[in-house]
Formats: sequence, C-alpha cells, structure tokens
Amino acid sequence: MSHFLATDLEIDSAMTLNQVQVGCDVQIRVLSGPGCERLRDLGFCEQLQVRKLAGGRNLICSICGTRMAISRELAEQVLVSPIG
Amino acid sequence: MNHASAPPSTIALIGNPNAGKTTLFNALTGANQRVGNYAGVTVDIKSGETYTPHGHKLRVWDLPGCYSLRANSPDEKIALDALTGAIPGESKPDLVVCVVDASNLERHLQLTLQVLELGVPCILALNMVDVAERTGLRLDPAKLSEELGIPVVPMQANAKRGIIELKQALRFPFPNAAEHRWIDSSENPETSRRTFITQLCDLAARRPDSHQQTRSDQVDAILLHPIYGWIALLGIFFTLFWAIFSFAQIPMGWIESGQSSFAAWINATMNEGDFRSLLVDGIIGGVGGVLMFLPQIGLLFFFIGLLESSGYMARAAYLMDSVMAKVGLSGKAFLPLFSSYACAIPGIMATRSIDSAKERLVTIFIAPWMSCSARLPVYFLIVPLLLHEHEGTWKQALVLFGIYALGTSAAFFVAKLLRSRLGKDLNPGHFLLELPPYRKPQWSYIFRHVFDRSFSFVKKAGTLILGLSILLWALSTYPKSTTGDAADALTHSAMGRIGAIIEPAVKPLGFDGRIGTAILTSFAAREVFVSSMAILYRVEETPDPAATRKLLRERLASASWPDGRRIFTPLSLVSLLVFFIYAMQCLPTTAVVARESGSWKWALGQFLFMTGFAYAAALVIFQVGRLIGY
Repeated sequence: MSHFLATDLEIDSAMTLNQVQVGCDVQIRVLSGPGCERLRDLGFCEQLQVRKLAGGRNLICSICGTRMAISRELAEQVLVSPIG
Repeated sequence: MNHASAPPSTIALIGNPNAGKTTLFNALTGANQRVGNYAGVTVDIKSGETYTPHGHKLRVWDLPGCYSLRANSPDEKIALDALTGAIPGESKPDLVVCVVDASNLERHLQLTLQVLELGVPCILALNMVDVAERTGLRLDPAKLSEELGIPVVPMQANAKRGIIELKQALRFPFPNAAEHRWIDSSENPETSRRTFITQLCDLAARRPDSHQQTRSDQVDAILLHPIYGWIALLGIFFTLFWAIFSFAQIPMGWIESGQSSFAAWINATMNEGDFRSLLVDGIIGGVGGVLMFLPQIGLLFFFIGLLESSGYMARAAYLMDSVMAKVGLSGKAFLPLFSSYACAIPGIMATRSIDSAKERLVTIFIAPWMSCSARLPVYFLIVPLLLHEHEGTWKQALVLFGIYALGTSAAFFVAKLLRSRLGKDLNPGHFLLELPPYRKPQWSYIFRHVFDRSFSFVKKAGTLILGLSILLWALSTYPKSTTGDAADALTHSAMGRIGAIIEPAVKPLGFDGRIGTAILTSFAAREVFVSSMAILYRVEETPDPAATRKLLRERLASASWPDGRRIFTPLSLVSLLVFFIYAMQCLPTTAVVARESGSWKWALGQFLFMTGFAYAAALVIFQVGRLIGY
C-alpha cells in the first residue's frame, strides 16, 4: 500500500476512522460524503496521518499536531488505511 | 504620494480560530482598540489603529476566526464579506495579514491560499514559532515566502516578538497581489490547493513526529474521561456559579448604596415636584435597578473568558455534546445556553459560533428560559413568602434549584419539539471541534473583553433602558390624582387604569389588579416588578434593600381580596413564580433576538409563545390547585 490507486477494490478494503482502534496511526485515503468539504477545511486531507486518541460518541484525533473532536457521522466519511 | 491627507489604509487580520489574531491585533493597536458593531450585521469586527514605521496611520480589522471562505457559519460569512468589500459603507481592505499557527501549517495554509485567490495583497504572519520550534518543527520562512510569492514574517505575538518586523512589512507601497500558481484549470481547486500545501510543508516545515504525547493530552486524559471528566465539569461549573453570585454581592452593595445616597442627595437638594420625581423614581430607580447587575455580568464574562482562554470551554462543549444531542442540539449550544443563566443577551450573541442555522435558531429560541439573573430579585421576594421563613435557608436554596431546573427542562422539551418540526439539517451530525492545547490565560485579553461587554451594557442602560424608565414613570404618574397618596396616585394613573382593565385577565391566575400592574411594568425589565410592588402596596423605601423586602413581604402576607380572603396563598405564589420563570419580559432580549435571527417574526413569535406559555402554565397551576383543594 505504498502508493494510492483510486480503484474500487482499494477503497473497499479501507476502513473508516470509526473502525480504527484507539492509539493507532493511520493515513487518510479518501474522503467521501456530504461533510468532506468541512473536513478538508479543518485539515482532514488525503495523504495526511492521523492518530485516534479516543473513541466513543465523538472521536478525538490528533492531526498535524492538533487535537480535533469529530462526530461519528463525520468519521464515517473518512476512509483510512494503516501505515506500513 | 501624499498619504498624510488620504484616508488611512485598511489592513485586515484573518486566520483560523486559535491562530492568535486577536493577540496580534492587541499587540498592533495597543490601547487604541474599540469594538465596532456594524448595524445589521450579526458579528462584530473589531477595529483599531496602528502606525507604520514611517508614521502613517493604518486602520486594522480583526475578523472573526474562520476555517475557510465558504461561509459555513455566520462569522465566516462576515469575514468573507469584509474581504470582498460587501459590508455596506466599508471598502475592501488594502492589505490582508493572514495569521497562521506555524505549528499547524498544513491546516492553516488552506485559508491563506483561499485568501490569495481573492486577489488581494497579502502578508503571511507566521505566528507561534516558539510552539512550532518546541515540537521540533523545522521552519523555513524564506522558502515559504518564495513559494507563496508574499512576504512572510515569523513572529510570536504573545511575547511581542516579530511585531516590529511585521510593521516593517506594512510599509507603503503595499505588495502586489500574488499570483496563485497552484490553480490548475484542469483540476479541482481543492485538490490543487492540497497538493501545493503538502509540497510546501515538505519543503518549508518539516516535522519529526506529530503525534507525540503532550502535556495537554495528559490533562485531557482526566478532563475528558467518561467519569472523572464529568466530575470535573460539574465541579468547575458549580464553583463558577457560586463565585458569580457570592463575589458579585460586594460591588452590588456599593452600587445600591451609591444609588440610594444619590437619590437622597437629590431629594434633599431639589424642591418636591415632577422633575424630582422623574429623576429619583424614574431615572435613578429604573436605570440604577438595571446597573445593579453589572457586577454579575462582568464576573460572568470574566469566567467565560478564563475558560475560553485556557482551552477548557472546548472540552466542556465536547462533554456536553452527548447531553445536548438528546434534544437535537450539539455541544456547541452549551456555551450560549450556559451564558444565558446570567443574561440571555450575551448568550444569544454567542450562538454565532453554531454552524447549523436551524440549531442556532432553536438555541436562540430557548435561551431566555435559562433563568437569568434579572429574575433573581423576584425570586428572592416570593420564595421566603412561600416558605414563611427568613432569607437564606437551605430550603430556599432547594426551591431556587427547582426553579432553575423547571425552566431548563421546559426549554429542552421545547427544543426537542422545535428541532423535529424544523426538519433535518442538510448535513446532520456535523459536530466538529478543535481542542486547542491548554494555555496560560491571556489576562489582558480577558480584562479587555470584560470591559467591552460591561461598557456596552452600561451604554444600553443609558439609552434604551433610560428611555423606557422615563416612559414607565410618565405612565404611572399621569394623570395625577388629587389626594396625594402614593397608592391612590398609581390607581389613578394611566398604568393603574390599565391594571384595572387587566384584572379580569389575571384573576384566573390568582392575581389582583395590583399584581397585574406590577407584572405589566416588569415587561420592560423583570426586576422592575419588585419596586412596582413596593409602590403598589404602600411600602416606604428604606436605605436597606433587605429591610424593604422584609417590610414588603409583611405587607403582602396580610393583603386580602375585598371579601376578606388572602391574596397571597401558597397557590397564588407558586402561580406567580411559574409565570416569572416562563414569561419573556425583557425588551432588550427581544431586540437582540430580532437582530440575530434576522427577522422580527421570530422575535415576536418567541415573545408571544413564551408569554402565552407562562400564562397558561400559571392558569393551569392555579385552577387545578384550587380544584384539588389548596
């Protein structure tokens, strides 16, 4: 998974930010959904690395050194893959 | 060029929330700042003045913080309008200073690129370089400047580092607008901006590991904990409430005694007449009664400023989100509603940060049901009468708590109903909040904020409330009676006649015409009720307000209907309390609601609904209570 290819297969195999375990580092692959403009404004852009710090009703993530709280609905629109 | 005679050029500060715009603004403008409140516009732009190193005067605007120029929320809309010259009476700024957090360039540069695309001359203020360096980020301002095509000034505004350099960059002539070479017509502008920023950050802001555990994270592990977090939240807000009410007593006493000695001085120096009565009863009584709440409002803003500045407010909103979601609101509605316990006006203004227009309307609609501090004098009058006890016992505290709970739970119930009626949001579930690192509070900013707010409150007392006080005084003074007795004069006056007319309307609630009249006067401001009751029930003012209240209470306890029944039964007192919990009796709030919601229909609808609800609730309580034998 060194290079991102926009194939359906790859997107299918990616998971949403909700499914990531707390404490894991992941890389954002695709943003899809009605909230993605807002997410990009706040720094959730493709290629960037995210660490999930807390789960629950709203997630807390660390992105570019900032802590962001986002709702599960929004996190559902962030497709990520493990770094590796 | 002769700049001395030309009007001063305007520079605008723009940036994401928490980038340090206001700190920079204060550092640039010093003590010259004032708050500009543009009529018809819902968000404040702060405006101030500064000088270039060559002595040219510059006007500086501090725009509301925003994440993008897509105008998602009202404060982003105002920032966009200011940059494009869409604010009536103001032209486009001559130069824009984009303030970015150097430790967060990947995110903050998004907005900078959007500003550059507008084609305005721009300077990049690379703020908080100290924070960036501490996290190990290697910054290259020269490279950034070269790639973006605009001057870049590294700085640390809170320590005043880099201010001189920034002022040097503000020299005439201003730089030309940079070309935006990242725009590629074949590509989506989002994608091209993002690619450009990624490249730029790789070149000019290399970061080692962005996810290291900071001290803020360690604090958050406790303060955002599912159990300890709630304990901390409750502890903090209870302490805050207690502090507001107990600390405010001291300056409130000063204002009260200053007021009564001023009134006594006028009484002693002036001859008796209508003008003295206007000054003492109308103006000092009316305006002074409202100014009394200045310490509480100042303290509330101080604590809110403290919570915001330290970074805790975002955590409170995060925790409260799950509670607010039960009634269809989000955590962002917490701060406005919380502020409304002191005064609904700042609470309603604070709703500007809510992105969803529908959620914002609902929050504005229910905010006046959070029992504000103006209702307290009324509660303090009625509750001891209800319990037949002296002021300040734990039973009264319990009843007071019940009063707050009654208002709040009804507000949440209405919010739930209203939210489902307004329909779903275009984008549901959009809770998104930055949790800034905990910082030391910026005292100068907090105190300035408190001063601004208090000043605008005093200004309101001097204009709107002054006018209303004069009007009310005139209504309750003319036409005059011949007997010279205070209570007779009131029944004879326009206000007293209105009271006689409305008695049939308030009788089913258990009130007589005098209470009806007092309620009528309290529609300008709730606290007027107490002084109206004092006049109507012939209680002489004494210098000590607690003694006046005690005297009034004794008089009220013995008041009776013409057939000998007591007027103030426990049932009619409860009915009166409930009326005050729910009625919308605050003209300034209605005016602010009309401005913030952009329609008089909403404000009027809110007024009619709340007052109608209060009437119905009091009616049901009194009638049902009588049926079951109270």
